[in-house]
Amino acid sequence: MMHHSALLLPMVILPLAGAFVLGVLRLATVRERGMAAHHFGIIAAFGPILSFLLALGLLVQINGLPGHDRVLSQSLYQWFAVGEMRVNFGLMADPLAVLMVLFVTFVGSLIHIYSIGYMKGDPNAGAFFAYLNLFLGAMLILVLGSGPLVMFVGWEGVGLCSYLLISYYNDDRANVAAGNKAFIVNRIGDLGFILGLALLFWAIGDTGFDYADLRERAPELTPLLALTVGLLLFIGATGKSAQLPLYVWLPDAMAGPTPVSALIHAATMVTAGVYMVARFSFLYMQSVPAGVIIAWVGILTALLGAIFGMFQRDIKKILAYSTISQLGYMFVGVGLAAYSAGIFHVFTHAFFKALLFLGAGSVITALHHQQDIWRMGGLKKRLPITYVTMLIGALALAGVPPLAGFFSKDEILVAALATGHPVIWLLGILVAGMTAYYTFRLIFVVFHGTPRDAHYEEVTESLRVMTIPLMILAAGAVLAGFINLPPILGGHQLLSHWLGLEAHHSPHIKLELLTILASLTVCAVGIGIAYRRFIPTAVEPVYHGFARFAEAKFHVDELYDSLFVQPLLGAGAAIRRVVEPRIVDGPVQAVVWLYRAGADAVSAVQSGYVRVYAIYMVVGVGLLSFAVYRLLVG
Amino acid sequence: MIEHALYLSVALFCLGVLGVITRRNVFVVFMAIELMLNGANLGFIAFARLHESMDGHVLALLVMAVAAAEAALALAVIILLHKHKGKLDTNVFNLLRG
Repeated sequence: MMHHSALLLPMVILPLAGAFVLGVLRLATVRERGMAAHHFGIIAAFGPILSFLLALGLLVQINGLPGHDRVLSQSLYQWFAVGEMRVNFGLMADPLAVLMVLFVTFVGSLIHIYSIGYMKGDPNAGAFFAYLNLFLGAMLILVLGSGPLVMFVGWEGVGLCSYLLISYYNDDRANVAAGNKAFIVNRIGDLGFILGLALLFWAIGDTGFDYADLRERAPELTPLLALTVGLLLFIGATGKSAQLPLYVWLPDAMAGPTPVSALIHAATMVTAGVYMVARFSFLYMQSVPAGVIIAWVGILTALLGAIFGMFQRDIKKILAYSTISQLGYMFVGVGLAAYSAGIFHVFTHAFFKALLFLGAGSVITALHHQQDIWRMGGLKKRLPITYVTMLIGALALAGVPPLAGFFSKDEILVAALATGHPVIWLLGILVAGMTAYYTFRLIFVVFHGTPRDAHYEEVTESLRVMTIPLMILAAGAVLAGFINLPPILGGHQLLSHWLGLEAHHSPHIKLELLTILASLTVCAVGIGIAYRRFIPTAVEPVYHGFARFAEAKFHVDELYDSLFVQPLLGAGAAIRRVVEPRIVDGPVQAVVWLYRAGADAVSAVQSGYVRVYAIYMVVGVGLLSFAVYRLLVG
Repeated sequence: MIEHALYLSVALFCLGVLGVITRRNVFVVFMAIELMLNGANLGFIAFARLHESMDGHVLALLVMAVAAAEAALALAVIILLHKHKGKLDTNVFNLLRG
């Protein structure tokens, strides 16, 4: 039984209306000197903040429902009807969706506020804020859609905004190329997603295509079909959530403004794939192998991201590879049917990774768009608030208890061990150590040691409109872990029970102890190595051998380029040179020639001389007279 | 007797047609057209005589009226043509050439 809620529609509409208003204002003022950036920003912040308040209302509303029946919905209109099939455009919220909208709108509001400071003085800020609001609206549609097709609308919407915002600084061609790359790589994933949906529809979609209908009929799927649909949908997720082999766009996506990297490419959009797998949990429960494949892809991506992260020198690229790595963890969780653990990690990650990105943005603006960590150093004294908040974020990411990352990561690793995947567990522990190392490498090199920036003495802390969101997120990074405290640490796994995504098993005390001990050890080792290397002074290293290979990201981009991009470009050029002029254009040109020759022949009759027309007339009347004569007489 | 009148009428008409086709001066072409009208008028009168009816006479009078009106109009057109191009050679006026 579904319960009606009138809060869902306004929650989605508010940011979209904001985007519309900002877009109109931007177009109206673009010809003159334009509106000031912070005016756009203040208007833009309304939508997300109001949506967050509505999300709180939604939380109250859903908690008022009985425990086993917590689904709120709002049916809007019949979207389309083909034959017997009717697809409705509706919104739906269960605890999973409510959790998602809560942190999406919360982090989104903070990042909108932060952007007011970050985008100060930018002449195109109107477009920026319009896209940001549009993104938030699309993300809410993705999360709150009542069926896969509505989700797909949001799925594509966030992809579009991601593209627009990556190439926001479009006076540099490299940024435009990065946006195109993100868009095209995501299209490849979306093909899988669409095929998965089509197959799902063909199999069990004829009685309705909302989650509720599909959940009811999911047990009818044969194992092979469930596996195929599950993997096809996961291909979509590998595109959106930057997993192997489609992760290549995310590091390039750092070309966008830093608040965008924080909101879209760390906290919210890239977790859409994880959310999708959790949303389709009824499907993945029908196919354990699909889940295991997802978990393996996840852990390998986590490992790869961590390896790359250890050797990068661009502060945002380090964080981007860290995001890829952490997304890998999340997929391990949802792949091994530990949905609440995976979603819990999405939730905590949103706080500390948004925090780290915004902190990085604060450093970057303070140093006038310097992103190379080997040009920073000793910024602790100059940027005290940024330092403390980023340190908290780093501790949370590294998995130091009792910060958020510790609880959520360990829960995923426990799930790996409990479901009988010791290799995944071992790799996960290894990645945890690497994470601790690269995170503190960043902190130590940027904030400790001797200053390397030429303008070090002029560096000042960012505006308060930027530091206050940092502080709020830091508080979130400290506290977010406590909402799902495991029994071994005296908690009740409140979040898992509230989400109600999986059957509850008795806690594995021994496994949990083992995991906690192991992850604490590797975390300490990772931070220790970073400390020994980069404290008191860090020297820019010259990489050789494997490290150099990893710094070059295993040449994966070059490999993809020569394997896919160049052959496709070559094929395109060949088609343009051969097929287009000969096969496509040939017949068209022949028809053109035919008509032109015919016209030339006929137009010779039109001499333009009056007496020639007189001859035609005489001949014509003569023939006519003769014909009439034959008709009447002979 | 009637045949002779008809022969004359056809001969006049054919002379007119020939004039229209071969001559290049606009005035001469115009005069040739008048010749064709008169040829036709002679035919009407001859047939009216043959059938002893007034219809032919009426038609001939009508043709004369139309020819007078047409002459007024055509002369005005010819003046304009001359103003426009400074010549009365029909070969000059070939805007309809395809």
